[in-house]
Amino acid sequence: MSKRTVVIGLLGPVLDNGRGPQRWERWRPTISLCQHEDLLVHRLELLYEPKFTTLAKLIEEDVRGCSPETTVRPHSIAWSDAWDFQAVYGALHDFARTYPFDTENEDYLVHITTGTHVAQICLFLLTESHYFPAKLLQTSPPGKRPDDPGQYAIIDLDLSRYDRLASRFAQEARESTSFLKSGIETRNKRFNALIDHIEKVAINSRSPILLMGPTGAGKSQLAKRIYELKKARRQLAGSFVEINCATLRGDAAMSALFGHVKGAFTGALKDRPGLLRAADGGLLLLDEIGELGLDEQAMLLRAMEEKRFLPVGSDHEAKSDFQLIAGTNRNLAARVAEGRFREDLLARVNLWTFVLPALRQRPEDLEPNIQYELDRFAQATGMRVTFNREARERYVCFSVSPEAKWNGNFRDLNASITRMATLSAGGRIDVGIVEAEISVLQRLWQTPDDHGDDEALLRQCLDERTTATIDPFDRVQLAYVIRTCLESRSLSDAGRQLFAISRLQKSIANDADRLRKYLARFGLRYPLALP
Amino acid sequence: MILIDGSQGEGGGQILRSSLGLSMVTGRSFRIEKIRAGRAKPGLMRQHLTAVQAAAQICGADVEGDAIGSQSLTFVPSKVKAGEYRFSIGTAGSTTLVLQTILPALLRADGPTHVTLEGGTHNPFAPPFPFLQQAFAPLLAKMGAKLTLELDRPGFYPAGGGRFTALVQPCDVLTPISLIERGAVMHRCCTAIVANLPGEIAKREVCEVGRLLGWTGDELRIRDLKDCGPGNIVVLEVASEHVTEVFVGFGEKGVLAEQVASGAAEDVRDYLTADVPVGRHLADQLLIPLALAGAGEFLTLAPTAHTTTNADIVSRFLDVRIVIEQREGTRYHVCVRS
Repeated sequence: MSKRTVVIGLLGPVLDNGRGPQRWERWRPTISLCQHEDLLVHRLELLYEPKFTTLAKLIEEDVRGCSPETTVRPHSIAWSDAWDFQAVYGALHDFARTYPFDTENEDYLVHITTGTHVAQICLFLLTESHYFPAKLLQTSPPGKRPDDPGQYAIIDLDLSRYDRLASRFAQEARESTSFLKSGIETRNKRFNALIDHIEKVAINSRSPILLMGPTGAGKSQLAKRIYELKKARRQLAGSFVEINCATLRGDAAMSALFGHVKGAFTGALKDRPGLLRAADGGLLLLDEIGELGLDEQAMLLRAMEEKRFLPVGSDHEAKSDFQLIAGTNRNLAARVAEGRFREDLLARVNLWTFVLPALRQRPEDLEPNIQYELDRFAQATGMRVTFNREARERYVCFSVSPEAKWNGNFRDLNASITRMATLSAGGRIDVGIVEAEISVLQRLWQTPDDHGDDEALLRQCLDERTTATIDPFDRVQLAYVIRTCLESRSLSDAGRQLFAISRLQKSIANDADRLRKYLARFGLRYPLALP
Repeated sequence: MILIDGSQGEGGGQILRSSLGLSMVTGRSFRIEKIRAGRAKPGLMRQHLTAVQAAAQICGADVEGDAIGSQSLTFVPSKVKAGEYRFSIGTAGSTTLVLQTILPALLRADGPTHVTLEGGTHNPFAPPFPFLQQAFAPLLAKMGAKLTLELDRPGFYPAGGGRFTALVQPCDVLTPISLIERGAVMHRCCTAIVANLPGEIAKREVCEVGRLLGWTGDELRIRDLKDCGPGNIVVLEVASEHVTEVFVGFGEKGVLAEQVASGAAEDVRDYLTADVPVGRHLADQLLIPLALAGAGEFLTLAPTAHTTTNADIVSRFLDVRIVIEQREGTRYHVCVRS
């Protein structure tokens, strides 16, 4: 047995009106919807104002005559003024909330052809917000034959059910995600899935977003893109305000964020609105939010929850309604455990958390990003620079190798491309430039304080027995000395670097000797022989 | 399982109704596909669905595909249950078509059945109530089955609201009949009915009938109904020695009363001129009863697509042969043989 069809509709005091036998020659929407051969209305919930009771009775009788399969249930519903939006919405809202919907067994149609335009708008809104779990039903009069029931159309507000609309939305989503990726044709599956997800959240939500990820992974750039996307969709009218919380220290932090009034403290010569107020109606990016002081955190939480806060020295609360994007490269939960980040603030910003991967986790995306950086350079300087084929292959090959750590992520890539482009002769980057750049990057990513690397280095230079006799205190120093020796042209050169401070106070430089004696204590001699 | 192509022949609801009726009476299951395939709104409409549900209720059938717009339907009948039934049908469908669907089964049921039907009773595109009562029921009586029809109030399109009851007395064996001679005209009568409309319309209609057919005096009657309608119908009855025929014209918005009357009067003239006992619509209704009787014959006018389609469906369910042959002029001989 298929589901029963239930129509909920308002009596139309004008359109449904008519007396005498002539009424059957008029098109009456409520009657017409029960006359269609291909629409069987099992039940009609007829809402009417008490003053139209007589008409409601006549309509009920006429429906019974022309559609005996239909049960009519009249509901008296009162509002003082059928054009008063609040009154009408309230009454219909009450009806919807108390109506015993049985969606398992019944399909509901909300008839929106009758009633004032205000009532029609209210019915639409209540259906759109699922208070009426229904589709809309629109009836329209016949063309020629007056006793013909005319036409009807059922409109499902679940737009995903319409193929042509769905493909339109899919196209729009593709454009949005491409926009969020700055038009870069990224190939990394996980990254693309992440951006798809962010796009949905950005379009559908005004809640805070937390962007995590290492420095330079593009948090700030992405936040700006989210803002521009929302602005293009007319979801935001205000400005994009960006601040790195690491730069907000001490007393100035409060004032910078929340503003102050003139005379609030020494030097407060005039009112300052503060960043939160600047972001009213817009988007506030608080990068490195983990660096924010505890007092500022408390104030920020209140500003987010109540959209109001107290500027420094002011007796009057200021208002600002902004969307927050927080950025961090720290583990905020650990900061909470240390007592350095408020748990309630974390809960508030933690609703939509996205972790941007480091560049080295997206090797597929390096090539498109290299091209993007070259384009950006061209835009900034007006100089178009290209790789020759061999140079491009060499650079791409290095960039995706495990050797390329990209510790600074896009910041490193941007700097690297800028260096090569600047040095290129005639806008052409050749292998020589690439090789030099690779050396620069390798040096940049050396990790002298990396404990694991120290151990490996010591094991390479000393036999195991000797290594075992050295205190951890001395191991770090020795590893540093060995590394310097390996990178230096001569013993004297290494000595000059290692004793750079103390040698200034000596009349005779004996750096090489001091270094030789130090190495000898561990049975080592310059030049160091690595296996 | 008999497979029916719903798009064959006349291609409308008649194929479905005949199939339902024959399936109930024979106990043979069927599946119909491409129901009303070529129509603007294909598949089952409300009136067809009501017929399906009425049929299913009476014979306890298992049904698949009984939904509006469905283009295929499987019907597995069980035993026909006599008794008390009530069916309602919306304005565009006619109660008489529902009766037509369930009647064959009720003729063979194990007891009398009383059916109340609500909705339209005087609709175009369906046998109107006066036709069933005055033309069709007497012939069934001749065959041994008793169909008593009583009109509580008429239901016109579009307001509907009509109601009639049908009492069906079954009989074990239907007697074949032969309707070759019409015999002399015994009685003629034109009744113009206006329900909740100006009486002037009815007057103009009987005037026109009188003018065209030469009927006079008592042969021209007017009935003015107040508590139903609005609606208008002109009913022309020709009672002959061996058969009574009924022809109707429906009043319609924008159509002159004289046109309504002259259309029906022309049907009467064609019928009388052809000198056949059975008119087109009656021919249509007689096929299934004759087939159930196993034999019978009649002379009629050129068969409609309804009649030929019906004949085809009958032979799918029952082991009978229906031969339609043209005789002289516009006369056709329809013969049912086992």
